[in-house]
Amino acid sequence: MAKVLIPTPLRQYAGKNDAVEVAGATVGEALGKLIDNHPDLRRHLYNDEGRLRSFVNVYVNDEDIRYLKKEHTQLASGDVISIVPSIAGGGF
Amino acid sequence: MIRIHAEPWAEMVRHARAAYPDECVGVMLGATGNGSKSVELALPMENVSPGDRRQRYTLDSKDLRAADAEARRRGLTLVGIYHSHPDADAYFSATDLANSCPWYSFVVLSIRRGEFDHAHSWLPDAEQKTAEHEPLVTEN
Repeated sequence: MAKVLIPTPLRQYAGKNDAVEVAGATVGEALGKLIDNHPDLRRHLYNDEGRLRSFVNVYVNDEDIRYLKKEHTQLASGDVISIVPSIAGGGF
Repeated sequence: MIRIHAEPWAEMVRHARAAYPDECVGVMLGATGNGSKSVELALPMENVSPGDRRQRYTLDSKDLRAADAEARRRGLTLVGIYHSHPDADAYFSATDLANSCPWYSFVVLSIRRGEFDHAHSWLPDAEQKTAEHEPLVTEN
């Protein structure tokens, strides 16, 4: 089992949980289980094509999965998955 | 509507003035309910933009993770992000929109010649195509 930390603004779509334990051999499977258990989260994380929204980054422990095997990244028991959006901008 | 209590609002203005002529960035922690948000704590963050920080900001993902963890510890919600526009109005620019996230309110502070001028709050959509103006109330 891995633990998914729910971003605080999304807790309302995850049964008000701070974190959810999910089974899954990969990050993609674990996030799929998360969505199965809390379907209201889907539109906040995935676009209509079923891909993670462009601003959504996923970490396993402290590693960004973009630099691992993305959603195919393997999970070990006790891993912690964090969902962190990209935030930037500027006046011009 | 988003209501920012006096103490976090003073901190946001202080931070934006101190960062001038660069853009500042920080997070707002508070509560949500009945379609409105209240901000109880502002946490200044570092602008880590690799570009010209007078017109660009980037929030380090490690800092954002830590801020969300701090919200969790305090029983609060990370309700929004603030940043400043030095010598520009508090609009939501195309760059702001293209790098936004619909989970948060985005408060923009206009700083002119180093002094606070005005602020607006924005709610971007999930496709990063439009941002709705959110009524902003600040306490003094």
